[in-house]
Amino acid sequence: MAGHAEQAPQRVLIASANPLFGKGLEKLLRQRWKIAPEQVRLAGEMHAALNALDQWQPDLVLVDYDDETIERARFLDHLIQGGGRALQVVMVSLRDSGEVVVYDRQTFRGERAGDWLEQPWPTQPPSQEQPRRQDGMKHFVIVGVLVVIFTVLTNFGLQSAGLLPVQASAQATLIDQLFNAHYWVISFLFSLIGVFMVYSIVVFRRRGENDTQQGKFFKGSTKLEIFWTIIPLGTVLYFSYLGSLSLADIRRVEPQALVVNVTAGQWYWRFEYPETGITSGSLVLPVGEQVLLKMTSADVIHSFWVPEFRVKQDILPGENLVKELRFTPTLTGEYKVLCAELCGGAHANMNAPVIVMDKADFAAWEAGEMAAVSSDPAARGERLAKNNGCLGCHSLDGSPLVGPTWKGMAGSTHELADGSSVTVDEAYLIQAILEPNAAVVKGFPPGVMPATYADQFSEQQIADLVAYMQSLK
Amino acid sequence: MKKFFSLGLVRGLIWQAIGTAAGMGLLGAIRALMGLPWKTEPAMVFGGVVGAITFLAGIGTMRDWWHMALGKPVPEAEEVHETPGGARYFGVSLDHKVIGVQYGFLSMITLALGGTFALIFRTELAQAGLDFLNYLQFNTLIGMHGMVLIASILMGIAAMANFIIPLMIGAKDMAFPRLNAFSFWMAVPGTVLLVSAMFVGGFETGWTAYPPLSVRGPMGIQMFFLGVYIVGWSSILGSLNLIATILMMRAPGMTLFRMPIFAWAMLATSIISTTATQLIGLSFQMVMFERLLGMGFFDPASGGNPILFQHLFWFYSHPAVYIFVLPGLGVISELLPVFARKPLFGYRWVALSSMGIALTGFLVWGHHMFTSGMEEYLRVPFMYSTLLVAVPTGIKFFSWVATMWQGRLRFPTPMLFVLGGVIVFLMGGLTGPPSGTVSTDLHLHDTYYIVGHFHNTMFGGYIFPLFAAIYYWFPKITGRRMSEKLGKAHFWLLLPAFLLQTFGQMRIGLLGMRRRIADYDPEMGFTFSNQLITIAGFLVAFSVLIFFINLWISARKGEVVEGNLWESRSPEWQIPSPAPLHNFAEPIRVVGEPYDYGLPNSRYVETVRQPAGD
Repeated sequence: MAGHAEQAPQRVLIASANPLFGKGLEKLLRQRWKIAPEQVRLAGEMHAALNALDQWQPDLVLVDYDDETIERARFLDHLIQGGGRALQVVMVSLRDSGEVVVYDRQTFRGERAGDWLEQPWPTQPPSQEQPRRQDGMKHFVIVGVLVVIFTVLTNFGLQSAGLLPVQASAQATLIDQLFNAHYWVISFLFSLIGVFMVYSIVVFRRRGENDTQQGKFFKGSTKLEIFWTIIPLGTVLYFSYLGSLSLADIRRVEPQALVVNVTAGQWYWRFEYPETGITSGSLVLPVGEQVLLKMTSADVIHSFWVPEFRVKQDILPGENLVKELRFTPTLTGEYKVLCAELCGGAHANMNAPVIVMDKADFAAWEAGEMAAVSSDPAARGERLAKNNGCLGCHSLDGSPLVGPTWKGMAGSTHELADGSSVTVDEAYLIQAILEPNAAVVKGFPPGVMPATYADQFSEQQIADLVAYMQSLK
Repeated sequence: MKKFFSLGLVRGLIWQAIGTAAGMGLLGAIRALMGLPWKTEPAMVFGGVVGAITFLAGIGTMRDWWHMALGKPVPEAEEVHETPGGARYFGVSLDHKVIGVQYGFLSMITLALGGTFALIFRTELAQAGLDFLNYLQFNTLIGMHGMVLIASILMGIAAMANFIIPLMIGAKDMAFPRLNAFSFWMAVPGTVLLVSAMFVGGFETGWTAYPPLSVRGPMGIQMFFLGVYIVGWSSILGSLNLIATILMMRAPGMTLFRMPIFAWAMLATSIISTTATQLIGLSFQMVMFERLLGMGFFDPASGGNPILFQHLFWFYSHPAVYIFVLPGLGVISELLPVFARKPLFGYRWVALSSMGIALTGFLVWGHHMFTSGMEEYLRVPFMYSTLLVAVPTGIKFFSWVATMWQGRLRFPTPMLFVLGGVIVFLMGGLTGPPSGTVSTDLHLHDTYYIVGHFHNTMFGGYIFPLFAAIYYWFPKITGRRMSEKLGKAHFWLLLPAFLLQTFGQMRIGLLGMRRRIADYDPEMGFTFSNQLITIAGFLVAFSVLIFFINLWISARKGEVVEGNLWESRSPEWQIPSPAPLHNFAEPIRVVGEPYDYGLPNSRYVETVRQPAGD
């Protein structure tokens, strides 16, 4: 305050009902500003204060903040009536500890009185304002550096944690690029919010159980709010734009794509190659060539997903709801197609092999499949069993899966769920295929095997299947 | 024994059993008269509906309305004198505080139930292969886990809203006390029906009940539909009541922008509930009719379209996510200033961001359907709208951080749960955008990544704030505070265990683990991660057990606190604890801003003194 001695006020009015308050302040002012006793007046009542305001025209008014007899509104009314005269008003509060707290130090004029009313009464004591601001800058610098460091570290962690399976399709490469962009945003926002929070928790915590100090009185900032509305808005629009570019890229059509018709059902996959007439229980694909799947379901909704290819498409029942999916395998190897939409019962085990091979190998596979139409009924039955998903639930090695194993089944005696027993002969096998719930083997849940095979297979095919089962000793 | 049977709840349940049997018998008799054979499914559905109605009639929620219809005099809700005591909580009461606690009980019971379902199937998943559940049991459990917890969340929100909102806005009760009681008691038979789905055959569709699977499977799905339908009604009526209460019953001087922020959150939530819930009710009702009456809405085999169901379903079920989290985010915004001793940063922006989330929440349902086979071009606009949700959500996060900045933070148990909620919800928020952009979602959809993501949003947006709210307002209910020691044990066990669980889920999901599978291929290398997730799940459950023990002990022996324990400015803390019968002995008036912490000698509310002289 000593620095302001040149501009020391000429007339100071102290408004307080408490004489000790006034005397104390007067003494302080005279020491600091060396002003004469006649330059200071005390007003103990509201009307005295208002009179002094009018007649004596002080240029600094010190108001006892804790004095409830001094009413802000009446002060204000008076000023508005008093015209455009400028004066300094200072709110002062004396604490029990002897500390002097000075609030809201500002020049005001009648025409700005409206603004003044809108403002909250006091702000922080100005004596503490200066170091606080520097302190604030220091906090922001530390936090800013930490945010940058943590963003880089988090992103490095995410990129190197091996969170995605092998990239086995052209689409996977494109999609992973978008994942990488997401990792940056996630790392930044995680660090931003996380560092600010943890820093606040550590630095701005209360010191001890008896610390009754309050936080900094600060209610908001429209500028900041607009800033953190506009920036995220721009970011999400840009990201959506990136997302639509990425979507366009992965859907790029190659006219010469290999067409495969896919049928999904509870709980099997069947793949038909219309150009060659091949039907297979596994999806065999040549590497580097786009494939176009035309997919339909025999019963409920299923979903085609190979994690290594990244793409996924639900498969709907209904002739008019055939769904298409395109992708280009880029890496030879064996994968699995998994049903990704809950389809009841054995959904968990609804998968089929996907084999991506060199073009030469693929041509050889095609030739082999086309030549394999055998004259042996058991061999035909074996193909039917493989291609229609029978082996998803019935093992050939004696282990029980969802359904009983086929190994050594024909000719054996099984106990049924209703307690009776049956010899597994040809008639029982045919019944078990066509009406699976009629006589269920004990220990296996009913209602799991579809009862749709009567429509799906011809009598010849069922005979072939039975012949195959009987061949498994 | 006689005392036991005089409890309204017991009477209601007996009436429900009688009504169900009578309904089944009636339908069977009608069919027999028409010369048709007995059919269990329609009889069960009809019996279920009749049972729910007889429950409500038997417990007496409709007695006053019946009397009004007959022209008999009915006392004003305020004049009804209820005998204090424990029995009040087990029968029809018109006191919003009692109803709040009733909702709370039901919510905790369903929380424990839904959590137990998860523990059972997590145990099954601890190793590959089907160990002790069969497919149908597993599928039933995952569906029940989902829907029972959704019901639990709706009731938990109703509990918070019912107990706190009238106290917070200076009202004596809700706008429609009888409707309030009716809404709560509807939820009881609804829950009974929902849980009964397990015992009448189960269902294999998960909580989403997609047709055609739901059109075919076992009959339990019908009880599931019916339960959800009735709980949905309860939710709609409850939120209508809340809207009316918040708009019409505020204390003098409490303008909309001087309401406590939690009231804003509840207003936004209630607007969504009243306008979206019908759609899930409708879609489930249509499947119900498809099964019962052969109306071909969704099954292509009878000329329907399965995608239609998904549109209707998600039109509710996405906004429902915001119904679940907005109150929780409101609790965070409400409690942070109290424990940071600093004004809520940007009050108006936080208030309006709830409305912003409510609005944008209606425009994004299609992101659940990126792989569904809906029109392909629709995926692009839904991607834009989905990511837009980040903007109002971001405002909340930034405002919370700015509220903490340069505060004077205190860390009693409620504050720990608030901070935990912010962190966990941040995880949920940040893992959202990859499933919001279409091409990355093609990989993520229906995987454990999504499971991890939405458990983060549910825990961050509901579970953590709910616990914070209970620790915070418990003294208002009981006059005692909850044990800090047990509360901190609860928190420090829950947070790391939960984060371990969801990080594990998201990691294996990215690597190829599908959702809702009873079994997985051990060759994929997920066994160890699944074991960790299961162990973490049990730790989460153990921490909640500690919480229940804390509730039990503290309600009886907790430290007695009568005053303003947290030094809050909010009206409910200016009256004694537990809150007296008609809340405010003298009416209050708002004279300041709700969150001016750090402003000496300022007040938010004051008691209106009797006018002297004139």
